[in-house]
Amino acid sequence: MASYVLFTLTIGGIYALLALSLNLVWGMAGMVNLGLAGFFAVGAYASAIATGAGAPVILGWLLAIACGVVAGLVITFATLRLRDDYLAIVTLGFGEVVRLVALNERWLTKGADGISGIPGPFKQALGQTGFPIFYCVLVSVIVGGVWLALRRLDLSPYGRTLKAIREDQELARFAGKPVLRFKFEAFAVAAAIAALAGALYGHFQSYISPDHFQSLITIYIFLAVTAGGVGRPLGAVVGAYAVVVFLEATRFFADVLPGLQPVQLAAVREMLVGAALLVVLLCKPTGLLAERIAPAAPYRKSR
Amino acid sequence: MFSSLLQAIVSGLMTGSLIALPAIGFTTIFAVLRYPSFAIAAYMTIGGFAGIYANQHFGMGIVALLLLAAAVAGLVGLLAEQAVLGPLRPAGALTAAIGSIALNVVLENILRFSFGNDLQGFNLPIHPDMRLGPIRVGSQQLQNLGLAIAVMAAVFLFLRYSRFGRAMRAVADNADLARLKGIDPKIICGVAVALGAALAGVGGALLGMDTSIDPLTGYRVLLSVFAAAVLGGLGSTPGAVLGALAIGVAEEASLLVVPATYRGAIAFFAILAMLTFRPRGLLGERST
Amino acid sequence: MTQRTLLPNRREILQLSALACSGLLAARPAAAQSGPVRLGALLPLTGAGGPYGAPMAKVAKAVVDEVNAAGGILGRKIELFVEDDQTNAEAAVRAARKLIDVDKVAAVMGTWSSAVTTAVAPLCWESKTFQTTTSGADSITLLPHQGYLIRTQPNTTLQGQKFGAFAVESGAKKVFFISPQTPFVKTQLDGISAALKKSGGSVGSLVYDDKRPSYRSEVDEILRFEPDAIILGGYTPDTIVMLKDLFRAGYKGSKIAFAYSVNQKLIESVPPEIVEGTFTISPSPAEGSNAYARVAKLAGMSNPDPYTAQMYDQINLVVLALAAGGGEMNGTTIKTSVRTISQGTDRSKVDNATEGLKLLAAKKKIDYDGASGPCDFTDIGDIGDCKFRYEQVKSAKLALLRIA
Repeated sequence: MASYVLFTLTIGGIYALLALSLNLVWGMAGMVNLGLAGFFAVGAYASAIATGAGAPVILGWLLAIACGVVAGLVITFATLRLRDDYLAIVTLGFGEVVRLVALNERWLTKGADGISGIPGPFKQALGQTGFPIFYCVLVSVIVGGVWLALRRLDLSPYGRTLKAIREDQELARFAGKPVLRFKFEAFAVAAAIAALAGALYGHFQSYISPDHFQSLITIYIFLAVTAGGVGRPLGAVVGAYAVVVFLEATRFFADVLPGLQPVQLAAVREMLVGAALLVVLLCKPTGLLAERIAPAAPYRKSR
Repeated sequence: MFSSLLQAIVSGLMTGSLIALPAIGFTTIFAVLRYPSFAIAAYMTIGGFAGIYANQHFGMGIVALLLLAAAVAGLVGLLAEQAVLGPLRPAGALTAAIGSIALNVVLENILRFSFGNDLQGFNLPIHPDMRLGPIRVGSQQLQNLGLAIAVMAAVFLFLRYSRFGRAMRAVADNADLARLKGIDPKIICGVAVALGAALAGVGGALLGMDTSIDPLTGYRVLLSVFAAAVLGGLGSTPGAVLGALAIGVAEEASLLVVPATYRGAIAFFAILAMLTFRPRGLLGERST
Repeated sequence: MTQRTLLPNRREILQLSALACSGLLAARPAAAQSGPVRLGALLPLTGAGGPYGAPMAKVAKAVVDEVNAAGGILGRKIELFVEDDQTNAEAAVRAARKLIDVDKVAAVMGTWSSAVTTAVAPLCWESKTFQTTTSGADSITLLPHQGYLIRTQPNTTLQGQKFGAFAVESGAKKVFFISPQTPFVKTQLDGISAALKKSGGSVGSLVYDDKRPSYRSEVDEILRFEPDAIILGGYTPDTIVMLKDLFRAGYKGSKIAFAYSVNQKLIESVPPEIVEGTFTISPSPAEGSNAYARVAKLAGMSNPDPYTAQMYDQINLVVLALAAGGGEMNGTTIKTSVRTISQGTDRSKVDNATEGLKLLAAKKKIDYDGASGPCDFTDIGDIGDCKFRYEQVKSAKLALLRIA
């Protein structure tokens, strides 16, 4: 049971990083990123391919972050003038394209076979009981670090500007803010975080495949951010852990419902996820934790 | 070489006609309710299952089962809007869109719960293609194309000239102003969703005749349906059909240059290209 | 300067956590030495593999019920835990973790998608849980599983060779192989090409996207090759579309498919002219075996597809291995004992668990030959050689041609 809990916490941490990424780009800057799974995949594959070619793990992770930034910039550049709803559809397509490339370019990604044997840092030294504990702590620390950084951002003038852009782009531009630059930066950083999450996942699981990066996980992360509190980093983190716990808890509901076929139980489980998102949206659309808007500096009468 | 291209174009028109009706449905909902509804996938699948049920258990022929598919899907869409998505709309298009994703998951799994994952097929004959010179044309698909164009014309005329249609366009432009003129946006929105979902349902049943029906039927073509609507200009009915045919042709023709495994990416690049160079789409109005 | 902060509503957080955790706390702790034997099935109940998961679950439960009715394994009842892998490796790993850590199953059976199997494998061998799979990718048995993995699906190169040989035998000179992107496209194609090369024929191939509603241009490309025989390597959802489009294009040559794609469910859901005359090939036990008929009865289908047959075999093998090993009902026992009941000379052949258990209780040696083949495993867990079942669709029913 202990290893199950450790595992769930580690996965929760990785989801939390993805949720923080979404929170930055959607909750704060108002850009919908339905292609989260794509950035997740980019990071995972970048690190797996690099370490497979002999690079040390830490280099693999840095490379993953770099690739995430590049991917984020590419997407932002390609979707510069798009409205929100269009951005949603385009990023959804991006996620699908990444999966197709991972699936079909066997020379690079080993295609449908996936990449196995991804080295876990210090795995040999720590052994089978030590490694999960180490990794859980590592991921949690990284989550904490990213969260603190985003929290500061949230409360800073930079964060206020992002939220201004979210609320009304034209007005922000009118107020003299370099909207485009902010959007580029926000998306790039968010993509980097998602890519890091991918790298962490790959080295934790030691195996990745195109199959891992279906759009299902994007839906889970949206649930996490929506439930936890849109626009608030802590909300994203809380939401992510809550979603993972919820996903795992639904397995045990099966014991409560007798007389159903396995397919029906599986359908009920998936239904619960959709229903949970709807309930949150209907009852508490801003999520569990309310958004914090730091007030602007007080007006000084004398200049 | 030329005949390959010509065949690709003809095949593309056939393929495109499969997603034309759902694209009209999607764009109609967007036009009046102002949010992209991912639940269109579920409405398609529901229409497909309704059609199958009618065909297998009551032996209904094509026309009758299509009408039933439209009715069932339209009803589900209406109920979903009243109960779930309607209350979300005031919070913004994005919230409603996310809600529609969640609704899609719920509806898909209700179907899985009720019918399982097995592929279901219609008890209807399949005809070999007709040959016009070196080109082959599917007769069933030609009928689909004709049906799509007929429906497009009907919806277009409805929106443009009928009282209801004008009311829908009024609500689409400005709901508050429309209310001032005595139009009840709630009723209009209900009609719009019912119509959109019904069209998706018919599209799903037709799609099922060409392929098969299982809980994932609508989900598999979701991206293509979006691409068609966006390409043609969100909110434009003729645009949706044009977009669907364009996507179909693009996908079929792409096989001449790109490996078949990347067909799914074509829709994505088509949208991207269109949105970059002409954001309002082929026939869309300038976005406000 | 003070900042106005909005404190998180602690009560709400607590409420949510309590709600979510109450589910987890409902989990029962696993019993160790006595009590039921715990086995796990990780199946594609939703997602792309959905059409296959339900019959597999049905057959697994049916076998467990039968064994329990006859007294269980050495007096202990079997408890079967079925989890959905959602045909998604990320979700599958979470499900496997639950089966292994919470339910403490001795075996994880039935994994279908190759990515799922490869992702779950390290969890199994590291926790000494036995894993049985139906996945085809060659790389799976090459993983360092230390004997904790067996695969009931024959090697894809062998399958390719059989398909090629069959095509040649039926007189085809130009064979076209079509398949979605799977880990075994190349190995199957190599097998087919080898057979065709020997007879001086030629082979073409096409890999397609398996989520399309129409394959007109793909079919055009296939027909440009003017094949006598087309070998279909996909699964039911895409194969249905491909068959319809081949029919519309007026293709009159022969079609050879894997029995898991042109299966009974598919045949029942299309007009007969679409599939008439299609050949299907699947791994099989030698002639005279009753195993296939048993599966048909348990699954409630006259022609269960290969995955259902393999699931039947996997659960039988695990049950018999546990009984033969004696001692602890865990993965290590299965690992050390499975080959003592699945292969060897001078043994009584059995094709079901109940009979096998009776013989084992009487201290007899047994050799399990299943519904999907003789179930004889190499050191790395692959199927050795096996026979194949050749069938043809005639008047919307599968007619057995031969077993060879």
